[in-house]
Amino acid sequence: MRPGLSFDRPSRRDLTVFAGYCVASAAYIAIGVTWIDFLFSFWVGLGYLLLTAWLLPSLVRRLR
Amino acid sequence: MSWAAHDLEPYAIQKHLGLKVAFVPLLIGSYSPDMMSKWFVYGVHLGPWDLKASDPAQFHRGWPGVGFTHSFLFGIVIGLIIWKVFGSKLWGVSFIIGQFAHAITDTGDTVGTMLLFPWTFHFHLDAWAYAGQTGRNTDAAAYFSGLGSMWDLVFLVYGLYSWRILTSQYFDEVIYRADSFWPWLNRFVPRGALIVVYRAAFFYGASRWIAWTIWAHVIHHYPYDLSWGGPHWVPAAHP
Repeated sequence: MRPGLSFDRPSRRDLTVFAGYCVASAAYIAIGVTWIDFLFSFWVGLGYLLLTAWLLPSLVRRLR
Repeated sequence: MSWAAHDLEPYAIQKHLGLKVAFVPLLIGSYSPDMMSKWFVYGVHLGPWDLKASDPAQFHRGWPGVGFTHSFLFGIVIGLIIWKVFGSKLWGVSFIIGQFAHAITDTGDTVGTMLLFPWTFHFHLDAWAYAGQTGRNTDAAAYFSGLGSMWDLVFLVYGLYSWRILTSQYFDEVIYRADSFWPWLNRFVPRGALIVVYRAAFFYGASRWIAWTIWAHVIHHYPYDLSWGGPHWVPAAHP
């Protein structure tokens, strides 16, 4: 048995999903630091995430 | 006051309580103390009118004011109302836990909270400056220059370390199963969108923690002051 903290390693698929959220986050941050009102509303954040992490990928999958 | 902790803490609580809590009321509870008061703390322009509390810290955390929203009593009363109205003990208890987390976290600043209202004593650790009275931009700059932002960072790192709580498998096995709200919503919204909704508060908290840090320190060069009670370049409010 190895001592110390154990870290559950993510799979390739987990990392792909995470990368997608990171791209969405980078764009959100870029918009937010340019126009800070964008950062104040949870509902704007939720709408943005639904658009970028669900609706657009769903549309792209359907068009393929 | 805290900025991203109230978005991120529910995920840490969820990780430890699993099926014993429902995520949606936990998050609503975590947001509830500031839901109806924050706009009046910072002020808004409505046509020719400027609406703002004359003493924002007193209004936000004090009595007279709406400081009772940051007390245990408020969480318990609203939790019991939720239990009675919706007939769900799970929702009531989850709301209370989320609201308690918010009220306790906000004791970290220099104004603190009246945890045991109607006793109007403010519990405050003075770890970071309360600067809500300076307006939202200066408040953000101050918060993301002091220990408050480091408290947020603890929950951000902990959430990433506990990354399994954000996976679709965890959503299916715990979040969806624990609360009948999700199967109900699933009648109108596809599963993929539900997972995104579940992850939204973490995304929002993490992204704006990074965005505000960049805004305060890369774009505007506000100085970091991680000393106790800092940053000391902003006038901190006290009870």
